[in-house]
Amino acid sequence: MYRNDTVIPFFALLLSVALYLATYLDGQHIAQLHGGKPPHAALSEGQIGLVAFATLSLIYALIGYFSAWLEGVELRPGRHVPSPGMAVTLVALILAVVEAALGGFFVRLLLYHLTEKPVSSAAEGTVFGLMMLVGAVLLAIYKKYYLGDEVLVEEEHSEVPW
Amino acid sequence: MSVYKWLDERLDLDRLNKKFLRKAFPVHHSFFLGEITLFSFITLVLTGIFLTFGYEPSSRLVKHAGEQLPAAYVSVLYIDSLPFGRVLRSVHHWAAHIMVAAAFLHMLRILISGAYKKPREINWLLGLALLGATVVTAFIGYSLPFDAFSVTATQIGYGIGKSIPYIGDWVAQVMFGGEYPTLHSIPRLYSLHVLWLPLLLMALIGVHMLIMIKQKHTQPKYAEEVAPGKILGVPLAPMQLSVMTLLFLLYLGVLFIIGGAIIAHPIEVYGPPTTSTPALKPDWYFLWIYGILQIIPSSWKIPLPFGAEITSEFIGGVLIPGILGLIAVLLPFLDNRKTKMRYVELPSHHPMRTSVTVGLLFFFFVATFAGWKQELNLSVGVLWMMLIFVPITAWLVTYVLMRQIYGPRE
Repeated sequence: MYRNDTVIPFFALLLSVALYLATYLDGQHIAQLHGGKPPHAALSEGQIGLVAFATLSLIYALIGYFSAWLEGVELRPGRHVPSPGMAVTLVALILAVVEAALGGFFVRLLLYHLTEKPVSSAAEGTVFGLMMLVGAVLLAIYKKYYLGDEVLVEEEHSEVPW
Repeated sequence: MSVYKWLDERLDLDRLNKKFLRKAFPVHHSFFLGEITLFSFITLVLTGIFLTFGYEPSSRLVKHAGEQLPAAYVSVLYIDSLPFGRVLRSVHHWAAHIMVAAAFLHMLRILISGAYKKPREINWLLGLALLGATVVTAFIGYSLPFDAFSVTATQIGYGIGKSIPYIGDWVAQVMFGGEYPTLHSIPRLYSLHVLWLPLLLMALIGVHMLIMIKQKHTQPKYAEEVAPGKILGVPLAPMQLSVMTLLFLLYLGVLFIIGGAIIAHPIEVYGPPTTSTPALKPDWYFLWIYGILQIIPSSWKIPLPFGAEITSEFIGGVLIPGILGLIAVLLPFLDNRKTKMRYVELPSHHPMRTSVTVGLLFFFFVATFAGWKQELNLSVGVLWMMLIFVPITAWLVTYVLMRQIYGPRE
């Protein structure tokens, strides 16, 4: 906790993998107790808790890595002007196209669900989730290569908010 | 630009920018646990608004596919049939689970880094209130689909609420609209879940953040060397806001993929409520209380004046969590300091506090474990021994190890 490094996010990532694995193994164990078939096709109370903490650990780990990459391990006062290269612009353009394509595909999925037959929730969730993730990466590229950094040193006593 | 100038002439946006949007935010990934809690709340409000369009808060019986089923249950089936409806409902559930978990870990981070100390005592208390209100809101949300699982889980909460001496009946009346489940229960719980508790949460979050901005965030320890006695951070706009937005997108990305792939509460699997109570447990964040209830004999009864009595449900469901809550409330006043705290304290420098926290976590683990008493075929005596000795052992081992590794720095 001394600086914004990736030590805790790394262990959070490991914890996330371990908890997802524990969820899977717990499911196998429950199925085994019921003669190879689980009593119902829903997660148990324990599995829901494990998945909640696994997902939280995963989100935390990703946030930790993004934060260390975008904001640095230690802040130093001043402005840091970025220098975006051609490659970065190209990657951003490709991702923007992918984002638009995912958006179009998502609308098609909804229309198909409405007019033809139900689409699996996994497909709907994955496409929408990918749209969000690509949006996050695009914003990260903008922040890292176009917006730049500014670190302030502020007096402890201020008029904000009163 | 002319629009900005037009607005600036009328609203003095430059002053707003200088005064508020240039506020420095210290940077450390552990500070984002609070933000994850906030992201979850925003997600819950947005997905919750969608759910209100299709949900019918009533347990009256309606005809569905040739069967007489509760209207609430049927309306959830309808939501699930809508395009993207099942995903949004699942995401609503997962966001609630993650909000409870993130709020708990956020408080844990505050605890092990000493950030509850002067001048942040009020925000610690508000944080406890937020955690409590979050758990209650999530619990009430569970009752709304009115399936076999939710009715059983809500009955456990109803029993705990009703067990409070003298005021139990009043609590049951206010929270559950009478003896659960009555026809009044679902409308009452729905009103609490979508209106009163979210309003309370919004107010608490607003005050919590306002105080955080006034008192300034604690800072990572290295900032003491870079800018001693001052706040080192990135400006709210555009730096912090852009990072927060992208992290929110990241959060949504993971949540929707998980929420779509794993439906948190598939009500068609549980089915509508039946006369025979299915063998189900409450949600994971109540399992530790459920575990304690499992190992307290139901014969434990202490008579009180005027016909009231302290029951095992009250001891396990109210008294023990209440004592833990009281210790948490008193913590910043017991572990006080004269000087203002500015920097995050390293857990390794505080072996006693860190090891007690580890012991407390083991208490929760063992109490949760006791929730599977019947499946594990463990006796009450063994579980009591575990509940007492495992946390104490964890505390002692952690303390000795930390003193050996880091030395007596406290």
